[in-house]
Amino acid sequence: MENYYLNINGNNYKIIGDENESLLNILREKLNLTGAKCGCETGTCGTCKVIIDGKAVKSCRVRGFDLQNSKIETIEGLADGYKLHPIQEAFIEAGAIQCGFCTPAMILTTKALLNENKNPTEEEIRFAFRENLCRCTGYVQIVEAVKLAAKKLGGM
Amino acid sequence: MKEKIIGKGYPIRDSILKATGHKIYVDDMKFPNMLYGKILYSTIAHGKVKSIDTTEAMKVEGVKAIATCFNTPHIKYNSALRFYDHDIPFTETIFSKTVRFVGDRVAAVAAETMEAAEKAVNLIKVEYEELPAVFDVEEAAKENAYPIHPGGNVLNEIKANAGDVEKGFAQAYKIYEDRYEVQPVNHGALEPHTCIAQYTIDNRLTVHSSCQNVFAFRVILSQILEMPLHKIRMITPSIGGSFGGKLEMTIEPVAAILSKMTMQPVKVTLTRKEVFKSTRTRHAAVMYIKTGVKESGEIIAQDINILLNTGSYASSCYNVLGALSHKIYKVYKIPNLRFRGVPVYTNIPIAGAMRGYGSPQIFFAQQAQMGKIAKDLNIDLVELQKINAALPDGVDQRFNSPLGNPRILDCLNEGSEIFQWERKKNIVGEKGYKHGVGMAIGAHGNGVFGAHRDYISLALKLNEDGTTTLLTGVHDMGNGSVTLQTQMIAEVLGITPDKVETLEADTDAVPWNLGDYASRGLYVEGAAAKRVAEKLKRKIVELAEEILKTKDLILEDGYVVSQSDSSKKISLSDIAVYSQKEKEAEITVVESHRSEAGITSYGVHFAEVLVEEETGKIKVISYTACHDSGKVINPLAATNQLDGGIHMGLGYALTEDYVFDEKGNMTNDSFGSYKMFRAHEMPEIKTHFVKGFEETGPYGGKSIGECAVVPAAPAILNAVYDATGIEIKKLPIKINKEDLND
Repeated sequence: MENYYLNINGNNYKIIGDENESLLNILREKLNLTGAKCGCETGTCGTCKVIIDGKAVKSCRVRGFDLQNSKIETIEGLADGYKLHPIQEAFIEAGAIQCGFCTPAMILTTKALLNENKNPTEEEIRFAFRENLCRCTGYVQIVEAVKLAAKKLGGM
Repeated sequence: MKEKIIGKGYPIRDSILKATGHKIYVDDMKFPNMLYGKILYSTIAHGKVKSIDTTEAMKVEGVKAIATCFNTPHIKYNSALRFYDHDIPFTETIFSKTVRFVGDRVAAVAAETMEAAEKAVNLIKVEYEELPAVFDVEEAAKENAYPIHPGGNVLNEIKANAGDVEKGFAQAYKIYEDRYEVQPVNHGALEPHTCIAQYTIDNRLTVHSSCQNVFAFRVILSQILEMPLHKIRMITPSIGGSFGGKLEMTIEPVAAILSKMTMQPVKVTLTRKEVFKSTRTRHAAVMYIKTGVKESGEIIAQDINILLNTGSYASSCYNVLGALSHKIYKVYKIPNLRFRGVPVYTNIPIAGAMRGYGSPQIFFAQQAQMGKIAKDLNIDLVELQKINAALPDGVDQRFNSPLGNPRILDCLNEGSEIFQWERKKNIVGEKGYKHGVGMAIGAHGNGVFGAHRDYISLALKLNEDGTTTLLTGVHDMGNGSVTLQTQMIAEVLGITPDKVETLEADTDAVPWNLGDYASRGLYVEGAAAKRVAEKLKRKIVELAEEILKTKDLILEDGYVVSQSDSSKKISLSDIAVYSQKEKEAEITVVESHRSEAGITSYGVHFAEVLVEEETGKIKVISYTACHDSGKVINPLAATNQLDGGIHMGLGYALTEDYVFDEKGNMTNDSFGSYKMFRAHEMPEIKTHFVKGFEETGPYGGKSIGECAVVPAAPAILNAVYDATGIEIKKLPIKINKEDLND
């Protein structure tokens, strides 16, 4: 058992204990950052995705212990107080949200995508979501939301 | 008057919470002193539990209680119960002494940590006496099959009849007889089943659960735990997808009994594997369908026989079969139509409610056969549909009652235009591919009118600042049903939907609702919202007439205004304050609304596929869905529902299935192996709503959510048939490359 620190949304959190604990478990159970959801725990639904050093990563498949020098972003850190991030606005406006369980991960995946590619094609958008399941929307509005977000962020 | 809110797209009302991660789902919640519950499931498909040894498990640090089939109530219940006096077979118990499928519950542990609970569950030793198991529905239906429940495996049959089928067949030019088979599938809601039960020293039980029917769950819990209703509070704070999968009670009694044993709150959240194996599936079925047609293509007689696989317990098998038996009378002008269905027990997971509720099964069989008939008679499939489709003034042949205003012909015409049916049906596939187009009609009801009581009560309060608060028993599963209620209220009261706050699905706080199923959201619950708002409006207008001394008042932009003299106006806020000050009376109304008619929503889907000759792999390349949902109240939500329904329908058609080994153990119990379509695998989708209007629907509206899924699988099947000429009679559709190159 060793204590270590994780940088999440710009804050340093002291993590106590188990070096094998998944980042998802740490976020949800230790830090009460419950925006990351657990849909399968086997890395196939993508509802637990967060951004680690700019990349969208499934937090159930990584150990927190290994991320001591990383910059972790979760959905809780995306809005600036009451001001939503343009991607969040886009998801709401496009109606890309139904039950909402996949939404935080979808939004963070979008952020990671748009950071790297300001003008993704529809094919690139769909490929970026290959590890994010959604059972409500058929992905149509989610793809629309990404296009709208790209526009809001100055791309497209 | 022109509507301001109705017909406009509004995002789901709690979108902002969901977009920021602030929406609290049940598994996100913790209570002080909370324990974690873990369930032990049967590893065999059929057998008697001889003994359970918990000695080692109890020694695990942090374990507080172990509930088993030997130390908990054995009161039988039906997880699909809907209301207090609902008469359906009670076959389940909290834990089973006779296990009937791999995944049946036999025990559960409550411990201070999840790790301890898991460790302890693995140390429980169960001794079984194995019994013969049967997985095939036709095998199980045989007279000599080993009985899964006393009385045998075949439950009572459901029959429905119109005209004289034998006479009809005698007049037929040709008769077609086919056997179709559909598989069990899972709802695949991304949020696994989850609940927290809290039993307290005052003999109260509070359960937070991701469920679709708080009032029914309260009744079942009161039966099992022998508690009065006022001592049980069921709350659904939010649902991360459901699709019928959280309509029937699964884990709540386990959490409740563990909490009762420990006097501490207990959370039970399933893993994905557990959701697949131990919750509910869509009913698998074997369907025999015999159809007699005239030379013109007109169907003269149809005879349908279904064996519905209910799995190991009765659950909702009668309701699903009953619903299914109604729907087949709503689409065509078939004068002679006979239906017989029997639910059959097998040793596979329990079948239950799932989006479509019987419709996906029966329309798959009927519409697949239509594809075959069209080809055999050399009539274009769309034309064949037009010859038989029910007309807007058509009647249900069984009761000779009006169907309402079905716009099937409009769907056929506009859908084939958008899809470009005429052009696409002549396309020849590129080298190495076979190209095909197919289409199908589907239908689904709006509520349960005629089957049993179908009402909801709502309370609506006018606040001092002119805003309102709705107390509603509706559980929004993400489909926007509560958003829709706020639209209805806003339209009536001349305010915007954001001026309507809601308190939802809490048995202590909101009036009774039947539950969120059967596509009641718009037609029944939406209409109820309109109605309760109209009642509030009458109170508001009454007071305004007193204040403004005029009778010609309308509600607009938060004011009550005289139509003849616009200077005579008063805000809703001032009226609420006036009532408080002058009348010392609250402006709150309660209203019950019952369903008015058994109306139906319709959908026509078109699919274009390529079948790879080398592999037999099927790729859907374009898809058009055209629906009659009456007047579309929220186009954004309706389109969302339709797209999601198509996604689910494509999975049903091509990829999703329960694969069992010879012992009845599901072998593809993960999202990795149970294939739901991902974003890059989806075809291009076009959706369209025809201009419809339902006389009895609120503002002319009808439902969409369930109907959306129904025509998908047969549309795909007919396209694959068109491409390959191979008759496929089973879902999910698979093409053997050997058959392809014959």
